Amino acid sequence: MNRSFYIDLANHGLKMPMGTDIVLNEHSDPEAIRIDGQRLGEVMIEAARRYRTPLALPQMNLALEKEALLVLMGLDGGSGEFHFSTPPTNDQLARFEAGLKGRLTPGCEANIEAIAHVAQTTDLVPLGMCIGPFSLMTKLLADPIMPVTLAGMGNSAADNAEVALMEAALELSTRLVLEIIGRQIKAGAKMIVIAEPAANKVFFSPKLIRRGSDIFERFAMAPNRKIVELLRENGVELFFHCCGELIDEMVVAFASLDPAVLSLGSSRILWQDAALVPRTTVLYGNLPSKKFYSPTLFTCSQVSDTSRELITRMREIGHPFILGTECDVLHVPGCECTIKTKLEAIMEAVAV
Amino acid sequence: MQDWSKLYDAIVDGDDKTSARLTREAIEAGEDPSILISATMVPAMAEVGRLFEIEEYFVPELLLAGRAMKAGLELLRPILAASGVEPTGRIVIGTVKGDLHDIGKNLVVSMMEGAGFEVIDLGIDVPPETFIEAVRDKKPQIVGMSALLTVTMPAIKTTIEAMVAAGVRDSIKIMIGGAPVTEEYAREVGADAYGENASVAATIAKRLCAEAKAA
Repeated sequence: MNRSFYIDLANHGLKMPMGTDIVLNEHSDPEAIRIDGQRLGEVMIEAARRYRTPLALPQMNLALEKEALLVLMGLDGGSGEFHFSTPPTNDQLARFEAGLKGRLTPGCEANIEAIAHVAQTTDLVPLGMCIGPFSLMTKLLADPIMPVTLAGMGNSAADNAEVALMEAALELSTRLVLEIIGRQIKAGAKMIVIAEPAANKVFFSPKLIRRGSDIFERFAMAPNRKIVELLRENGVELFFHCCGELIDEMVVAFASLDPAVLSLGSSRILWQDAALVPRTTVLYGNLPSKKFYSPTLFTCSQVSDTSRELITRMREIGHPFILGTECDVLHVPGCECTIKTKLEAIMEAVAV
Repeated sequence: MQDWSKLYDAIVDGDDKTSARLTREAIEAGEDPSILISATMVPAMAEVGRLFEIEEYFVPELLLAGRAMKAGLELLRPILAASGVEPTGRIVIGTVKGDLHDIGKNLVVSMMEGAGFEVIDLGIDVPPETFIEAVRDKKPQIVGMSALLTVTMPAIKTTIEAMVAAGVRDSIKIMIGGAPVTEEYAREVGADAYGENASVAATIAKRLCAEAKAA
């Protein structure tokens, strides 16, 4: 798929929530499906058909990679609470490297097999999905903000243990993410969604960035540039996603990755961000899907109105745009009907 | 009392080493710890909160300041405890069951400590029974709960319901927060207050604490 395919989809008015998790949770045994590649692939297909898109999106489960990383190192992958307090030992690193040559965790393997299933059995465009290296790193440390900030204040790994730990964790994260993406490409992914929600102004002080610190480039962007290299080598496109709160400089940095699609959170005004992003990048989003569970917080008619405004404004400025959600629409028990109605409202939205 | 404006500056600037050094100097100079806290350190954190509100400071600066405050407080706490000085109030806090995201909660802890509260941090993924046990054992005035995700947010309601069932609900004020949480949701689940951010949470906690003590 070349770039013009995605731009054409946008120009033809594609609307598409990230709804795979919703479809997955309509099944009676979602947890079993999560580790069954073929069934997970069927869920991707079902979601794509329901939302009338040629793009088959995987579920956005950003806990998978941390689990895989810990398991590969011989640590308890099931414990989301685990954080490194010291850099990994040589033994752990050796296990990790050896583990990368074999099968990953059932969840990661199922995601890869799901992509292959979509690629082999349908005419849909299979997308891969992986957490971004920086966001994965933040899950590995109890306090990831402080070392980033300390680095921004001039501390180096050589003179600060917290910075050294963060850099070691980021290196591991990057290594794993590249491996997973490589496998998803081999399985047939034509575009990879990199979800990098932590590359935002909570983790990176705008004050430091505006004073000239290079922390955002060093820790958030540089690992993603390695991913872009891998994608280019394989002729695969990037769908870059960050739903965090951003400053303009961050949007410009994301655009410099030259993604085919850039997906931003609802805190951004997309028709203004279009000025920061080349027209060769489709903007995606950015309905506030994290509020969809509530019947009153963001009503169905607000979904319709905001959808209409987004479509109209983006058409007016002429930037390629796909109407969608600010993030994966998560299943919230008891709120299924409310969420579903809003997803239908997105699909029915038309320009003024 | 001497001029400890450099300690104030150290906290506002997030310089933990200078904060600890100056606090040590203040102790050695015989300063009353409770006055040092109320006249210098708490106002410093209030200024940090103000700078955060006007977007001069961001989360990283808030955390740095919290760390600097803590560096001083850790030196003062043993002296305060020995002299029987009571904190502003006692808060039990944690992220609800199923939620592993603690950045927001940690910020609230920093700001609460900065406001002079004793904070009992239960950590992440805290089941209702642990909150209940902490209310019984620690006798806080306030319980704070947070959830980052819409999928974990219902655990706030479950926890409050468990507290009602356990008969501990009426002895405390409940504050909730987190990205998907709203004022409306707080009312819906029977919480006493919603804190939009860490700075606001500390202000609300002071009010709730005063109400709880007056009741």
